[in-house]
Amino acid sequence: MAVATETSAGTTLAHKVLGSPTLRLAGRRLLAAIPVLWGVTLLTYLVMNLLPGDTAQVLLGANATPAQVHQLEIRLHLNEPFWVRYGGWLAATLHGNLGTSLASGENVTTILGQRLPVTAELLIYALVGSVVLAVLLAVLAARRPNGIADRFSVVISMTGLSVAPYVLAVVLVYLFAVRLQWFPAIGYTSLTASPLQNIRSLTLPAIAIGFPLFAVYTRLLRADIVEQMQREDYIVTARAKGVPHWHILIRHALPNSMFGLITLVALNLGVLIGAVAIIEPIFSLPGVGAILVSSINNHDVPIVEGVVLVFAVVVVVAALAADLLYAVLDPRIRL
Amino acid sequence: MNRVNSVSSGPLLEVEDLTVSFPGRRGELRAVNGVSYSLYPQQTLAIVGESGSGKTVSCRALMGLLPQAAVVTGSARFVGAELLGLTDDQMRRHRGTNLAMVFQDPSRSLNPTMKVGNQIAEAVRVHRDVTKAQAREQAVELLRLVHIPVPGRRFHEYPHQLSGGMRQRIMIAIALACRPKLLIADEATTALDVTTQAQIMDLLLELRAELGMTLMLISHDLGLARSCADEVIVMYAGQIVEQAPTPQLFTRVRMPYTEALFEAIPQLERPAHSPLPVIGGRPPDLSALPAGCSFAPRCRRAADDCRTAAPPLAEHEPGHRWACWHPCGNGDPN
Amino acid sequence: MSAPLPDLLTAPGAVKAAPARKKAHGKASTLRIWLPLGFLVLLAAACFIWPQIYPVPKPVGGSILEAGLPPLSPGHILGTDPNGNDVLSRILYGGQVSFEVGFSVTVIGLVIGGLLGMAAGYWRGPADAVISRMLDVLIAFPALVLALAIAEGLGPSELHVIWALAIFSIPATGRIARSNTLAIREQDFMLAARLSGTRGHQAIIRHVIPNILPQLMTFALLGFGIVIILEGALSFLGLGIPLPEPSWGSMIAQGQQVLSATPEQALIPSAFLFATVVSLNVLGDALRERWGVR
Repeated sequence: MAVATETSAGTTLAHKVLGSPTLRLAGRRLLAAIPVLWGVTLLTYLVMNLLPGDTAQVLLGANATPAQVHQLEIRLHLNEPFWVRYGGWLAATLHGNLGTSLASGENVTTILGQRLPVTAELLIYALVGSVVLAVLLAVLAARRPNGIADRFSVVISMTGLSVAPYVLAVVLVYLFAVRLQWFPAIGYTSLTASPLQNIRSLTLPAIAIGFPLFAVYTRLLRADIVEQMQREDYIVTARAKGVPHWHILIRHALPNSMFGLITLVALNLGVLIGAVAIIEPIFSLPGVGAILVSSINNHDVPIVEGVVLVFAVVVVVAALAADLLYAVLDPRIRL
Repeated sequence: MNRVNSVSSGPLLEVEDLTVSFPGRRGELRAVNGVSYSLYPQQTLAIVGESGSGKTVSCRALMGLLPQAAVVTGSARFVGAELLGLTDDQMRRHRGTNLAMVFQDPSRSLNPTMKVGNQIAEAVRVHRDVTKAQAREQAVELLRLVHIPVPGRRFHEYPHQLSGGMRQRIMIAIALACRPKLLIADEATTALDVTTQAQIMDLLLELRAELGMTLMLISHDLGLARSCADEVIVMYAGQIVEQAPTPQLFTRVRMPYTEALFEAIPQLERPAHSPLPVIGGRPPDLSALPAGCSFAPRCRRAADDCRTAAPPLAEHEPGHRWACWHPCGNGDPN
Repeated sequence: MSAPLPDLLTAPGAVKAAPARKKAHGKASTLRIWLPLGFLVLLAAACFIWPQIYPVPKPVGGSILEAGLPPLSPGHILGTDPNGNDVLSRILYGGQVSFEVGFSVTVIGLVIGGLLGMAAGYWRGPADAVISRMLDVLIAFPALVLALAIAEGLGPSELHVIWALAIFSIPATGRIARSNTLAIREQDFMLAARLSGTRGHQAIIRHVIPNILPQLMTFALLGFGIVIILEGALSFLGLGIPLPEPSWGSMIAQGQQVLSATPEQALIPSAFLFATVVSLNVLGDALRERWGVR
């Protein structure tokens, strides 16, 4: 018997998503994000400029003569009032010019361009690893609550939540770089130079950043899955149909538990700037985190602003992406 | 009654002394306390009772859908095969193929992120070795069976896009996917509006006739039992207190509890604004059942012997069982 | 209706849970509360009281001649650091710093953040709008940048670290306090109180505080651990407690330099840091279960 299973003619998923209320929501989010971005940059500029200590003096060192300091100040426009300087920076930024580093004189955009890929690769490595492993462990744990896998997952989660990234980094370096020598303790090899070395040089830092994330994600996902399995009626229906346990776990409970995880991942991205700032120097990775601390020390405002801006944009984009992802995954939102 | 027309002469389902208890903080909680009955092929049996009477728990015990903590004793034989005490894997072979269940709240009983058609197809593929395309075809057929218009298009929709009545039809389609011999409808119409209730009940009865199924209706609604069932079981505090073929139950009621339930049904003939009779008192605490008849604290015919000894369930008249020392219509005063 | 029954039915136990051990099932077992609590009390006592009553080598001013001694050397149970200072003593004094900073920041957060949050949640209106926006901005801000900037600008010192970290404790606690107050506010007994004429601040003191206290306390415990980690991070970067004063964070940083030769320089303070934070987290978690906080 011929059966006509018609889908609405010609409608693809993308069409549905883009034509939906979701896009309007995304648009509104984008608009709302602009004042936040502006506020963040302003606050950063404010704080950086309130730092006591003369920037020029810091840059030139203690041996500089007052005349040299004064000259540098004029060159760097440091003697102009705050609003003029901020306004100048803002205007330039909107034109795509992030200025030049006070310390090195290099173009900020260039510096960021060189360093951003390193940080991006590190973060992607850490995030993907932590999410994938979290899903695996959470599903394993949720299969039998209070079973062996579950109790193991609780211990792992607790450990991950309690360990500081820098502590973990030091321990990892000791175990795997010094003793076992499986990974380099410091240094970075770019992807184009040698993919294998690239992965090797990023693994320990990625674990240092990713393990606490993995702990949080596992805990949340496991709790969500167990909650679905124990409290939701559609799970009972699935059981009544005769669907096997694993199948229910993976095809019914897990997809409906992903939403909490997506929110968590998106929200956590902002915190990663801190982790990166600490981890990159430990492993001597030439990323944006590494210069953040030294730039703050040097009062190198353009660099700090540049880095902060980039991260703020990433956070906003991530929130948007999460919204869109919801629409793709949850038919209740897009239809 | 359809017993005479049954193909096989033996009962489809024989429940014997079914007991379900849960460990509670104040001691064991007996949700089902020694329930026994037989169900014959193509019969429609209604199990009626208040919340807490044990009607839902006893049926979930049959399907093995109770929490791990539940302690189930007794026997429930489905065409001779024992259903209780099976492992989950063993029970899965019965679910959907021999027994199936339709639940109360269709808005929560369907996976919100899965197309309804796929949820039906899943029921097929779990038990039958078919391709995805074949399962889809069968799913569309089932949608047609439950009278959902434009089944080909409905297949791709999600539960939140459908009305309550349609969702319940989907649930029925899922339950019927592998043509089970017994369909248990657990308060299947309670969450629906009155008109839809009637439609769904009509559908269930029609399907029962068409597919030669046996139907077990769980409800608190006596009116429903009266219009749709061949035989009625009344449960209270985890026990069967009365069982009879429908006409007999409603004309010659014996249990004071059943009688009180009748009186609580709103009637058009009653004068306007007259208060609805209610059964006084509160349902019993299942972890601390009183000695004697569990209905005695609320029964207006209760006497001293009711409070000291629990009356046994016995077939006092042919086809009619009850458990009461002082049943109605027996010449007793009141 | 006997209460447990509906719950039992809505938990159809689709998951075949392993038989729960009697001790650990349901409410958090007392072991998970008393063990970490005991450890924390012991550690705090050791850090603060031991140096007073039992002569311990000074944590600073060690002689270079005694540098880098391994653990179990005579007179130095845990050895000495590259500058000749006794490690055990530095651990104890560093622990003092961790507890002091953690405690101060947490208390500041609870008091100021809690009050702001409760005010915003209870009175709503313009006050809420202003406070919420402020909290949101602070939370959205890249925390580390601000903390680093403050620490850098003010100069490293314990007090400045407390200020810098308090800037995050306040909005975080404030948000929790606000959302919990909002939830409590809608409940019937609050409505009854308002109708019977209870004034705002009375209602807060008598009703809101007792009801949100469990949530705030467990949040504070978990936050305590985070603050200790952050203080360690600042010290690790050289922006926290100034050398040569001891802090677990700076000890780890120093230990990192000599990781191949004398790994215990980094591993010992790491172990203490980890043990402390784990205890705080386990305790906070167990209390959260015990008190039924979500």
